[in-house]
Amino acid sequence: MSDTLKVTIDGKEVKVAEGTNIIDAAEAAGIHIPNLCYLKGMKGIGACRLCLVEVEGGRGPVIACNAKVKDGMVVSTTTDKVVEARKFVIDLILSMHPLDCMTCTKAGVCTLQKYAYDLGIQESSFTRKKFGYEPDTDNSFIKRDPEYCILCARCVRVCKEQGTNVLEFMGRGVGAKVITAQDKPLQESECTFCGSCVDACPVNALLEADRWRKGREWDYDKVSSACLICGNGCDIKVSTKDGKVTKISAGQADGSAEKYICAYGRYGFDSIESEARVTSPMVKDGSKLKAASWDDALAVVAEKLKKAGKDAGFISVAGIQNEDALAMKDLAKTAKTKNYDTTLSLYADAETLINSQTADLDSADLIILAGLAPSQWERVLPQLDAAVRRRADRGAKLVVVNAKESRINEAATASVAGKETDALKAILKAAIDKGLKADKKLADAVKDAKVSDEAAQAGELFASAESPVVLASPSLFDAAANLSLAKGTAVAVPAESNAKGVALMGLTTDGKSFKEMADGGVKVLYAVGEVPLKKRPKVDFLVVQSPYMTELAKHADVVLPAATFYESAGTMVDYMGRLKFMPEAVEPRGESLSNKDIFVKVAKAMGATAKKPTEADVKKAAKAEGMISLKPFEAKKADVSASDIIENVNASVLSGPRLSSLKAYAKAAVKA
Amino acid sequence: MTEVKEKKTADIKKEAEEIKCPVQRALYYVEEFLAGPMCGKCFPCEMGTFEAVVRLRKVTEGTGTVDDVAAIKRIADEMLESSRCKKGKDTAEFILEWMGSGSYDAHIAGKCPENECKAFIEYRVIPEKCTMCGLCKDVCKDNAVLGEKALPYMSGYLPFEIRQKRCTKCGECIKVCPVDAIEIIEIKTAEEVKA
Repeated sequence: MSDTLKVTIDGKEVKVAEGTNIIDAAEAAGIHIPNLCYLKGMKGIGACRLCLVEVEGGRGPVIACNAKVKDGMVVSTTTDKVVEARKFVIDLILSMHPLDCMTCTKAGVCTLQKYAYDLGIQESSFTRKKFGYEPDTDNSFIKRDPEYCILCARCVRVCKEQGTNVLEFMGRGVGAKVITAQDKPLQESECTFCGSCVDACPVNALLEADRWRKGREWDYDKVSSACLICGNGCDIKVSTKDGKVTKISAGQADGSAEKYICAYGRYGFDSIESEARVTSPMVKDGSKLKAASWDDALAVVAEKLKKAGKDAGFISVAGIQNEDALAMKDLAKTAKTKNYDTTLSLYADAETLINSQTADLDSADLIILAGLAPSQWERVLPQLDAAVRRRADRGAKLVVVNAKESRINEAATASVAGKETDALKAILKAAIDKGLKADKKLADAVKDAKVSDEAAQAGELFASAESPVVLASPSLFDAAANLSLAKGTAVAVPAESNAKGVALMGLTTDGKSFKEMADGGVKVLYAVGEVPLKKRPKVDFLVVQSPYMTELAKHADVVLPAATFYESAGTMVDYMGRLKFMPEAVEPRGESLSNKDIFVKVAKAMGATAKKPTEADVKKAAKAEGMISLKPFEAKKADVSASDIIENVNASVLSGPRLSSLKAYAKAAVKA
Repeated sequence: MTEVKEKKTADIKKEAEEIKCPVQRALYYVEEFLAGPMCGKCFPCEMGTFEAVVRLRKVTEGTGTVDDVAAIKRIADEMLESSRCKKGKDTAEFILEWMGSGSYDAHIAGKCPENECKAFIEYRVIPEKCTMCGLCKDVCKDNAVLGEKALPYMSGYLPFEIRQKRCTKCGECIKVCPVDAIEIIEIKTAEEVKA
């Protein structure tokens, strides 16, 4: 949409698109209109009345969260009338809000505090009110304290919109309280602990559980980064204090309702301090691994790699950064072997991910999920689940194509069961029958499809959609992409965060595959990250480079301590093809080093002149472009399910003290 | 289960208008509004009316101050301006309608001009009118009426009077008195001594 309307806000002229509300228009002009209940992207509910503004020629004040701009509109945001109304509301809220800003964790970022300050309200002129609610503090993730709640309903609304639907209001008026079903503690509810409500809460009613006296926002250094735990590769904001990560929140623009990260992304950072961390290189001495110096360990590895030559093999998880991938490929070249591969090859091929297109889910009017079962509850691509449900809630149509029914079906406009490839074919045929334009080749390819009622319905939706997006599992991508030949875009969604990046960087084997190597197809195996191998394969020499002492590492000949992604600067490419930058949020623990630094060191120890890959190298490699062409409606073989991959490559992160309680809570919730 | 029909603001208004004292009337209206049609969807209304009840009660109970009256006025003014819907604005208008009558100021000064606010009134038996029938004593559930019923063969009766400490000003005695011998009087506050 183009910026077509001209609006004047407090004397500042700004051009915005039709349909923009006054709050967003003002934001574009750099003017903040106070609000406590508004959530960007959602319809304004006009509860707090703080966003009242006056429009020239209007009858009275209007709420800026719900009023759409009109061309030539002249808005004043600070007239006496609206400032008085704001003072009145803040005065009332303060009469029922604990006034303990001196110890409150949210001090500095509390919106109520900010407005009270801006309006100069030192204390409430109204009668002090007390509720005597008990806080809910029995889970390891989220602290809920209704005593602080100002009833803005933001938490209830984000929870509802993303489909988790845990929070609800009980009662009305000032005595209302945000509760779970039957007012049970969070861990006995259906809560997934994604913490979207925590990000949305303007006050101290919802907070991460471990924040009490661990520093406040102004004490933190913050960096924008990306999460490498699963295929969503979400934007995150990492807060650190005294060299430690203290908090991770959703990284998208502040105040945006598009914010979502899951419990793994938000709380997985305690794995940095995990006891399972390897903090120095270790070399096997006799039958035991013993701490060694970097030089000694590198010398051993270099010698073994040199000797093995083409019989050496490198395997890695696909959740490494682009620079790591490039450096690993360089190291393989130095070692004169063509065997280098990642876990990506277990469920996809590089070509698929490079061919995968990019799309803007938020402007899609039809989403087709093929062979994907995103779930916030099982934390399989949870962000995708939330995003799809949100889009559906805001009016987009959703078609689920899945042989096995899953929870996402409940949000679907149409669900097509049966073999996915047949279903996709049938949908395309139905759409063409409904008048969708397609070239002859494509039409011929689907001619023989059997169209069920569901497929006919889905086809009709596809035929009438303006900008459909097909999201497919990598194995179904080719079949799904055939739809995009007629209309819209097709995106493959891999299980691992940087699968697309790894593919673009060309870290795909010219020799043996991941599976062949993992089955003992090489003499010297160099395994990077938490590769899904529980037992040592039959190889002469095993190097494990990982942040954690994994089962595999315990059986290695050399263990090289790698930094976690929080400790390593680099880039990644998410499934939508967005290149994301990840600064080093904290220094690597102990003697650990980033993957790429280790690869360079090993190469140097082998006598090569190795250099760390630069941003330019990554950008050059990331330019590789794929193209979509008509392919048969057939699935490529997928060896492992997305949830298995995510659990295996993150086993050490997920078994940390905090995240491991998620499973216990899930059980408790089922019982309750 | 029988369905209880929710009161509308118009119903509440009609009921409230049967009360003469403007402060009592506003209090009744806002209390009923809070118990019924108040939807709780915007802050000025849900929080404002809650506070208004607190302040109105103080005024009717004789502990109100100028600040309380000012607060009520502010709540009503702001609700009228910023409430989300007509219900809130109606409530504000209802409060404002009678704020200018001087009744609020009278309450602050210790007087309910309509003699309805219990804090400002006392019940008294008018000895000249009383026939010592004893009906008021029978009906008083608080045992606040003293006196002996007149009997033909007795003299030197204990006269009827109302013990203020026990009286809850429920008004039942007035209703039964056949000769209108019970009246409501203002509690006389001590005269301020001027230097």
